Amino acid sequence: MILTIAALFLPLFPLSMVQNLILSRIRAPFARGALVLLWPQIGVTILQTQQPEIPAFIETWALLSAAFYAVRLLTVRDLAIWAGLFASSAVALTWGLVMQGVDETTLRLFALWFSLPAALLILLTEPISKRLGAAYAGLFAGLVERQPRLALVLTAVMLCAVATPPFPGFFALLNLMLGLDSPGVFGVLGIWLVWSWAAIRLVQGFVTGDGREISAADLGRGGALVYYAVLAVFVVAGLQFTGGNL
Amino acid sequence: MDILTFLLPTVPLLSAVIVTLLSDGPRRRVARTSIGFSVLTLLIAATALAMYLSNPRPVPVSFGINWGTLYLDPLACIMALAVAGISMVVHVYSARYMAEESGYARFFLLLDLMTASILLMVTAGDLITLLVAWHLIGVLLYFLLGHDTRRQAAQRYAFWTLFTYRLGDLPLILAAVLLYQAYDTLSLPLLFERISAAPDVATTFGLPLTSTVALLIALAAFARSAQFPLHTWLPYSMEGPTPVSALMHAGIVNAGGFIINRFAPLLVHAGEVLHLVFAVGLMTAILGSVLMLIQNDIKKALGYSTMGQMGFMFVECGVGAFSLAIYHLIAHGLFKGTLFLGAGGVIGNARKHDGVPPDDVYTFVIERKPIASRMPWVAAAVITVVAPLVVLGVSHWLVGGDFVSRQGAVILLFFGWVTGAQLIFATYRVRAESPWRLMAMIVLSLVIVVAGYTVVAHSFDLFLYPDRALSESIFEAASIPLATFEIIVAILTLAIVVGWLATYYSSANGGADGKNPSGLRLALYSLISREFYVADVYTWLTQAVFGISQRLNVWLRWA
Repeated sequence: MILTIAALFLPLFPLSMVQNLILSRIRAPFARGALVLLWPQIGVTILQTQQPEIPAFIETWALLSAAFYAVRLLTVRDLAIWAGLFASSAVALTWGLVMQGVDETTLRLFALWFSLPAALLILLTEPISKRLGAAYAGLFAGLVERQPRLALVLTAVMLCAVATPPFPGFFALLNLMLGLDSPGVFGVLGIWLVWSWAAIRLVQGFVTGDGREISAADLGRGGALVYYAVLAVFVVAGLQFTGGNL
Repeated sequence: MDILTFLLPTVPLLSAVIVTLLSDGPRRRVARTSIGFSVLTLLIAATALAMYLSNPRPVPVSFGINWGTLYLDPLACIMALAVAGISMVVHVYSARYMAEESGYARFFLLLDLMTASILLMVTAGDLITLLVAWHLIGVLLYFLLGHDTRRQAAQRYAFWTLFTYRLGDLPLILAAVLLYQAYDTLSLPLLFERISAAPDVATTFGLPLTSTVALLIALAAFARSAQFPLHTWLPYSMEGPTPVSALMHAGIVNAGGFIINRFAPLLVHAGEVLHLVFAVGLMTAILGSVLMLIQNDIKKALGYSTMGQMGFMFVECGVGAFSLAIYHLIAHGLFKGTLFLGAGGVIGNARKHDGVPPDDVYTFVIERKPIASRMPWVAAAVITVVAPLVVLGVSHWLVGGDFVSRQGAVILLFFGWVTGAQLIFATYRVRAESPWRLMAMIVLSLVIVVAGYTVVAHSFDLFLYPDRALSESIFEAASIPLATFEIIVAILTLAIVVGWLATYYSSANGGADGKNPSGLRLALYSLISREFYVADVYTWLTQAVFGISQRLNVWLRWA
């Protein structure tokens, strides 16, 4: 039972559908972002306090679940749904570290390194929806021509999400793989590749194009700086807590 | 020396930061700043090389954590100089070329970041730093190739490039994980020491670790250097700005040759992987050259030419001539960069010229010049076969008399002979007032080029691999049983000589002009013109994956 509850919060398919259904019901981006951030931390707390015995097949299940959501990301055009499915894919990999018996901090940080960019993507749906009517890739392409600041923030957060160095996800995935056996490493590498593929498809749908149909004002300097500051702190923290310990 | 090592990737990074701060100012200031820093980077690279030559003792520079080590050995020194030089030329060229484009500051920012990443890659002293740089190069190249965000084609092919590069990242990461798990170190010099001490470690599946890791490194190199069938991104990346094409073909695409050289102490224990590298390189060289011949777009032809050259570079690695591959990639980088940056001028000249070839009767009657002719085909065929053989044989014998005992050297001489002969064959096809004089001049040029190349290549080998035992053991690892080797060389020689004779005979007798091509020829032509359907297969696979993804999302209602 404890394991099932943990698999709900450190989402494994099909229990992961619960999180995505709840996300689709919440309208406020801040509440959605908070949910994406806190959800896996609850899972880690349950595992750490209850210490259930974890069968070996969980690792394979987690990899398959992460791969399943990664493949599904390829054809998602709605930014909020994309962020939710991405969180389901990435956070599932935390089970790989659980099986390696790492300490609580490492587990919490691993979940954070992937849930924070997902939360930032959800927050970005608001400024994009305000300007374009919906945060939907391909609806109005060419953000970089008319709203370069917003385009740059979206691209940077997406790069952070798909574990591009020097963002912490890169070091977190390396740390995970160093403790896995070869088939596990193969699995993680495949999932990582599909994330990149899906992310570029989504970013291209927003950022590139002639931008003739976009007339709204760009993201303010202050707003952009807040996102950059969060990402900068994220990079430094990643190097401090995960990258530096490799 | 330590400070120079540290400055090499840091100076272009600093330039990127300053360019970002200046991005709202005048364009000229952005370009001048970036060019200034690129000149400084080149000076640092040149000084680092000079200092290494005066005191050849590589020292790793560490940032105090387990990774982030920089290491200037001969390979890093020479590559850093080549990269910094090419980057500086591209910076200068871009200042005017990109003047009318939008995102001017962004372009220079990306160029600076790319230079920093490549320099980080060549100076990386540990596995993590190498992976970080390797990964970043692919991402930055995507943004550079897709700089014109309004053009769909540029975006599509930038994505192809990124996907292939990411595909190539995966085997390198897996190789790094396996190496760390087996030898418990991230430091490259320490890793190579431990591999030399204990090369016979097995992986989880019981496979020999050195061969498995060598294969993974070779796969990473194949993707990065456009080896068949991972080549489709290269010719289409011409959709990016010309300076990016120059930088890519002159520098970035050569990363495959670099990574193989970097892991030379590991590849010494994986002869079978070197044979695979040779086979893939040879196939790529042939296919790249064939595809180049049918292009009518100069930039795309240059793209396929690069693919062929990358194939030759891997052939060199496959026969154990690692240092020659580095020499090749630098030489190729310089001449291919020049060709790209001059492509616009060539196109401009072609538009001005009427394109009508000079007519024999016109030149004889009106210009009163003697009619151009060819030398007898039998004489030309004999010179074609014999002259390059003699020139190559004598020049190599003078530098190192024992080269015949190295299979790799014999294969390279074989390719040299084929290339030299091809040059003379091309001369035969040119009609001249004095064909014998023309032939003499060509043979003389061949002697000068071959002698110069032999001396430089020999010195280069001594510089890159001062440990002669390692150099010899690479050649030894790449060798195959002598009888097999001799049979292969004999068959290839016979095929090439018979091919030349048939071509000479056909050319002397009017060739295939005016005749209907056979069905086989037409089928072959359509196969080549569709580029062997490789891109079509990839498109089909992509659509299949999208179909699965879409169906899953619809069934599960996006949850």
